[in-house]
This record gives sequence, structure tokens and C-alpha cells, in this order.
Amino acid sequence: MDKFKENSFVKKVGFNRIVLFFVMILMYAFFCVVTGGKFFGMDRVLSLLNYAYFLGFLSLGVTFVIATGGIDFSIGPVMFCCALISGFSLTSYGVPMGLALVISVLVGLAFGLFNGFLVAYMSVPPFIVSMASMNIAKGIASVFTRSQSVSWPQSAGAGGWYRNLVKVGNIPVGLIFFLAAAAICAILLNNTKIGRYILCLGSNKEAVRLSGVNIKKWEMLAYTICGLLVGIAAIFYVSAYTTVQPGYGDQYNNEAIAGCVMGGTSMAGGLASIGGTVIGVLIIALLQEGILALGFAKDYQLIITGIIVIAAVYADVVARRRKN
Amino acid sequence: MGDVILTMKDIDKSFPGVHALDHVNLELKRGEVHALMGENGAGKSTLMKVLTGIYKKDSGTITYEGKEIEFHNTREAQDAGIVIVHQELNMLGHLTVAQNIFIGREFKKGFGIDDKKMNEEAKKLFDRMHIDIDPREKMSHLTVGKQQMCEIAKAISHDAKVIIFDEPSAALTETEIDQLFKIIRDLREKNLGIIYISHRMDEIKVITDRITVMRDGQYVGTLITAQSSKNDIINMMVGRVIYEDPKTHSMVPEGAPVVLKVENLNAGKMVQNVSFELHKGEILGFSGLMGAGRTETARALFGADPKESGDIYINGEKVDIKSPLDAVKHGMGYLSEDRKQYGIVVQKSVAENTTMATMEEYMNGIFINKKKEAETAQSFVDQLATKTPSVDQLVVNLSGGNQQKVVIAKWLTRNSDILIFDEPTRGIDVGAKNEIYKLMNKLASEGKAIIMISSEMTEILRMSDRIVIMCEGKKTGELDIAEASQENIMNMATREIN
Repeated sequence: MDKFKENSFVKKVGFNRIVLFFVMILMYAFFCVVTGGKFFGMDRVLSLLNYAYFLGFLSLGVTFVIATGGIDFSIGPVMFCCALISGFSLTSYGVPMGLALVISVLVGLAFGLFNGFLVAYMSVPPFIVSMASMNIAKGIASVFTRSQSVSWPQSAGAGGWYRNLVKVGNIPVGLIFFLAAAAICAILLNNTKIGRYILCLGSNKEAVRLSGVNIKKWEMLAYTICGLLVGIAAIFYVSAYTTVQPGYGDQYNNEAIAGCVMGGTSMAGGLASIGGTVIGVLIIALLQEGILALGFAKDYQLIITGIIVIAAVYADVVARRRKN
Repeated sequence: MGDVILTMKDIDKSFPGVHALDHVNLELKRGEVHALMGENGAGKSTLMKVLTGIYKKDSGTITYEGKEIEFHNTREAQDAGIVIVHQELNMLGHLTVAQNIFIGREFKKGFGIDDKKMNEEAKKLFDRMHIDIDPREKMSHLTVGKQQMCEIAKAISHDAKVIIFDEPSAALTETEIDQLFKIIRDLREKNLGIIYISHRMDEIKVITDRITVMRDGQYVGTLITAQSSKNDIINMMVGRVIYEDPKTHSMVPEGAPVVLKVENLNAGKMVQNVSFELHKGEILGFSGLMGAGRTETARALFGADPKESGDIYINGEKVDIKSPLDAVKHGMGYLSEDRKQYGIVVQKSVAENTTMATMEEYMNGIFINKKKEAETAQSFVDQLATKTPSVDQLVVNLSGGNQQKVVIAKWLTRNSDILIFDEPTRGIDVGAKNEIYKLMNKLASEGKAIIMISSEMTEILRMSDRIVIMCEGKKTGELDIAEASQENIMNMATREIN
């Protein structure tokens, strides 16, 4: 086993990532067996992926924030806020589809800038900032849509080309976008100054500051990247499900954070893995679909993701304790 | 000396990629002060961590009071009577002295905490140690030296039979060290076994009975202090003879330009109207007692803490330094006395830490040129003789002295013209110390200007071209090295104290 761990490929990818990957495969196999092969069906796979896309973008975004040692509990409701404002603009103000999608991204970006500014420049604890902006996002969305739910166009025809973003026929094109985004995030995190400083300040902010680095800028940037990805997540949410209701979105906070932490990103900051986040998200999506396929009520999903968050964070704590 | 209280035999411990302890032995008797010596990374701290249950040993036996034992955490070790006084202070600044000493075992009064009784008990402890600290004082208001005394009081209060001092004198002034030795002799009288880790040869000669030397994780041997010379010990530690004499005259060329001029710098109580000049190629020593305001002056100068007033001129030009970012832009570099908190990012690699202040130079468009980064880091690892398996090693796995070298490398890559070394060799052994001194001299001769804050008189006298002395937040004197002596420095360093 130790020899396996020393293998250069294993070292590069990370032993825990590999274990997690096989956990995912096993879970898929498990659900296939207990559902009598239903999970093999293309329908199930597509539906599972639909869930993974938007959650994946959320999770990628929050990975940057958690890497700084911060947290963002506003991502789910902000995603809904993006989808509602852009959708309402589309359906009620006649904004063209392309512009609506841009609006969604801009709303996410605005929230990211807002959170990042307060955390980095005003030194308000991220927990408080994100809790507050979660409510602000819900409030703004409700006011903007007059508390009405918004239905984006159903058919993938001329007015609804955005639906092709998740799938064309039975081809899961959304997967391409998601994996491409993940690849960009991985490069950003591991090969650029942005990622380097984000991870370093997550590990020891004061030492980075005394090295003459503008830590406020980089910390704010982490939240901004998160906001941008949340805006994109909203697009994939509506592309998959078309209808959004104001006042919701909280549950996705937990799921996105769970995916990220399960993948090996440390809640204490300084350590993050995009590959891990991708697998983590797929596992969460698998669980959601699996639980539904087994005929349990949606409430069980909440219980299970709650437990997963605690278990993943606990595993992280134990791992760090062992290292020290 | 009495009978043997503790025997560690054939202790072996490996971490991924590092064989930290290779069959190490240690024997401690009652009523003995036993020095544990060795260079950075020799494995002293690891051995003590194995003893107190922080690390689990791979093999070997620990016999304590005749029984074979293995502790699983420090609490178990404490309960058995083995306590450690840490090199890095573990104190809660916002609590009082007494609350810190009795933390985890507070005296209860009904449902509440009996602070009065704790204060009384703490007072008794201090009386026994013949030191004067108010148990009701907030910990953060004490000097580092006094905090260290509290740490010792806490250790004693555990009814210890074995006390481990991990470089206790690193932060203490001469008088405080005298006090410490009195306490240690007192404990020896009471038949406690004491393990004393230090790099200071003079202290070892004065206070210890026997010396166990380690090198590269291996047991080298045990000496009887009275029968061995300084050179014997050093040779055992490093296998080569070192040491240089103090400077007798300034090495700064006549008429060297002023690169940094500070006028009437003010920042709180600890920095009052401080003015000085720093020349090109000069090592300017900052001497003074703990809490004299030297670090605070450096931090205000570097923009790490806000300053109230004062003008700073670099190369004759007035500059506005509001943050470390500004300072670095103006060619300054700061090596903090507390490298773990302010110097390094422990979870990152040697290479990543080395290039922290100079990222721009390793960019290929938006991408980091990791190859170039690794090459630069490797060249500094070679140049500074940093002990690390590779530049990809996480800094957390390096020993203190090697971590310090990584911080030095960070500022060397930046090619800063003005370097502030705050206690550059704190907690670093003689071998590595010498390398760092050589390096500082080399930097100065290349035209860098260096401010060196140091609490070690020998270091000040050996390294400085000129010395600024501070006391209670004020500059109380300035001496050329030719006219400086231990006596007149001490005189100035205590000028403000009644």
C-alpha cells in the first residue's frame, strides 16, 4: 500500500482522490443493483448530470472561498436570485435570451464583489457576511419578481436555445462545459498567481501580508470568482429545470460545500482540490438521484447531505490532527 | 544525582521521507540537569514529542520510574509527572496570569470559578520561584520573558517529576536567565529530573550535569559536563570547529550613503520619537531588553502596524509606507522573530515560500513558471545549506533553523536593499547560526543595509557596525562598535527603568 502511495501518478492525483473515485464507482454500481438496473438508463444518467452541472459550478466557486479559509453560505440563494432576475427580465421585460444569461452572470458577480469587499476590506467575518447576503439575495429576488415564480421557456426551439447548454438530444453537452470549467479552475488554482496567493493566505494570512502581498485584493478575488461561477450555475439550473421559485436555494449551500470538502478541500483553508470537488459533486448528485430512485422522500436527501458535510469535515479535522 | 528516573532506549521514528529518530538513547537521573543538544533537525524536539505522547514511536522503549510506559497525549504525560516548557509560548493573552497557569484545572466555587484562590495559589508559586509577577495581570501585558516564567510556573504547579525545558532562554534577558537558573537549581535540589534543550554553549556549561548530543536523528553520545570542553561538545554536534570573535571596528566604508533615515517615529507606547540613520553596507544592531520596543519600531517602519507620526526617507527621498506592500516596493524586507506566525506558510512547499515576495518574476503570462521557481528555490537551498529532501517538501516538515533559511531565501530573491532581521538566530543552533552570520556579513559587504534586532549581547557585539539601544519605547543611546561594550550597552538599555 505504501508503495502504491509513493507512485508518482498516485502522488500527483492524490491518494484520497483515487479512493473517492472508486467510492463513486461503487455507489453507482450499488444503485444499479438495488434499483434493478434502472440506474443504467440514459434518462437516469442525464437527470443525474443535470443535478451535477449547477451544483458543480456552485461547488467550484465555493472551493475558492474555502481555500482562503472563508465560507460562503449565500451561494444557493444567490444562484436562485440570478435565475429569477434574469428569467423575469426575459419573460416580463422581453430581454433577449443572450442578454438574460449575461444578466445572470452579472448578478452573481455583483454578489461576489459585495461579499468579497466586506470580508477582505471591511474585515466582517465571512460567516456573517454570507448569512446576511443570503437573505439579501432572497429579498431582492422576491421584490424583483413580486414573489412570483419564473418559468423559463420549455422547448429548446428558437426562443429556448439555452436548453441546449445541458443536452442536445441525448448528448450531455453540459458535461463538456462543466469539465472545461473545472479544468480552468484547476489551472487557476494551481498554476497562476491568483490560486497561489489564495491558498497561501488561507494557510497563513499574516505571513503573506508581511511578504508585501496585497492580501485584500486576492481574498476579494476569491469571492468574486465564486460569485461569477454562481451566476453560471444559475444558467445551468434553469437549463435543466426551467422553473425557479423565490425564497429557496438554501439546501444547495450544504450540498455544494459537502462536494467541495469531501473532495479534499480543507475548511481551515490553504488546501484545495478541484479534481476532488468534481468527484465530490458527482457523488452528491448520485446520492440525490439514488435516494429518489429508491423511492425515499426528498427530505431524506437533506438528512443525508447534512450527515455527509459533518463526516467530511470531521475527516478533514482528523487528517490535519494526524499531520500535526 | 540520584537513581535513574527515565530511560529512553532505541527510540525510532520515521515520517514520510525523513528518518527523524534513529535508535536514540537518553538517560535521566533524579536531581540532574541533562542537556539535550544538537543542530537544527537533529531530532531533539521530536524525541521530546515522543516522550510526552505527541508523537507515537515506531519502536524502542521508554522506562519511567521503573515501569515501561507509553503516553498517548500530553495530558497523560502531565498526570504522570512529565511536563514540557515549550519554546513557543502557549499562553492565552486575554486571560490573567493565574487563569493561564490553572487552565483546565480551575478551582471551583459552586458553579463558578474561584479566581481568588487561583490568584493566591499562583502567588505562592511565584514566591517559591522568587519572582515578582502579579497573578491578576493580563498575560498579554507581560513581556515575553515574564510570560516564559509563567510557563515555567505552570509546569512546576503540575507536581512534576521531570521537566523539559525547550530552549527556555531564547527570549530571556540576562537577569531573567539568572533567575531561571536559580529556579532550575532549586528544582534540582528537590530531586527533579530536568531535560534542558538549548543552543547556548555558555549556559550548558553553567547549568547542566550531563550532555546528550544528537546529530541527524542519531544518538552521538553522552558527556559529563564538568569533564568536557566547549570544543568537545561542538565537535560532537557538528564535527567541525567554529566561532568568530566580536567585531572591533565598523566595516562600513567611510562616507557610505544613508539609505534609510527615520525621524521621530511614533507608534503607541512602544515607539516614541525614534530616529536613526542606516548606511549602505551597514549592520545596525538594535539592542535592548525584551519589550524595549525594537520589534514594534521595525513593524511600524515596515508598515505592518500603523504609525502615528514620523518621517521615513529612503535614499534621501521621503516615502509614505502604509503597508508591508509599500515597504516591499521601496526595497525593504522583514524577517520576523516569530517565523511560524509571521514568516512562513507552513502548509506550502519550500519553493512556494521562497518565491512568495517575488511572484511576478516567475510568471509566464498568467501562468506560474514552476520549473524556474523550483530552480531558484533549489539554488537558495544549496546556497544556504537548507536541509530539505527537496524544494517540494512542505515547510511544516522542516526544523526551525531550516524554516528560517527559507524565510531568508524569500527576501534574498526579492533582492531587497534594506533588510530587517528580527532575532535572526532565535532558536537556531551554533552551526546554522554561523552560516546565517556569514550570510549577513556577505549581504552587508555587497552593499545591503541591515537592521538586526537581537537580544543576545554576543550577537550584537559580533555582528553590528553600529548599535542603537532602546528602552521602554525610546531610543536611549547609539554606539559605534569600537566604543561598545557589554557594560555600556546594558547601562543604556536600562536607563529608563528605575
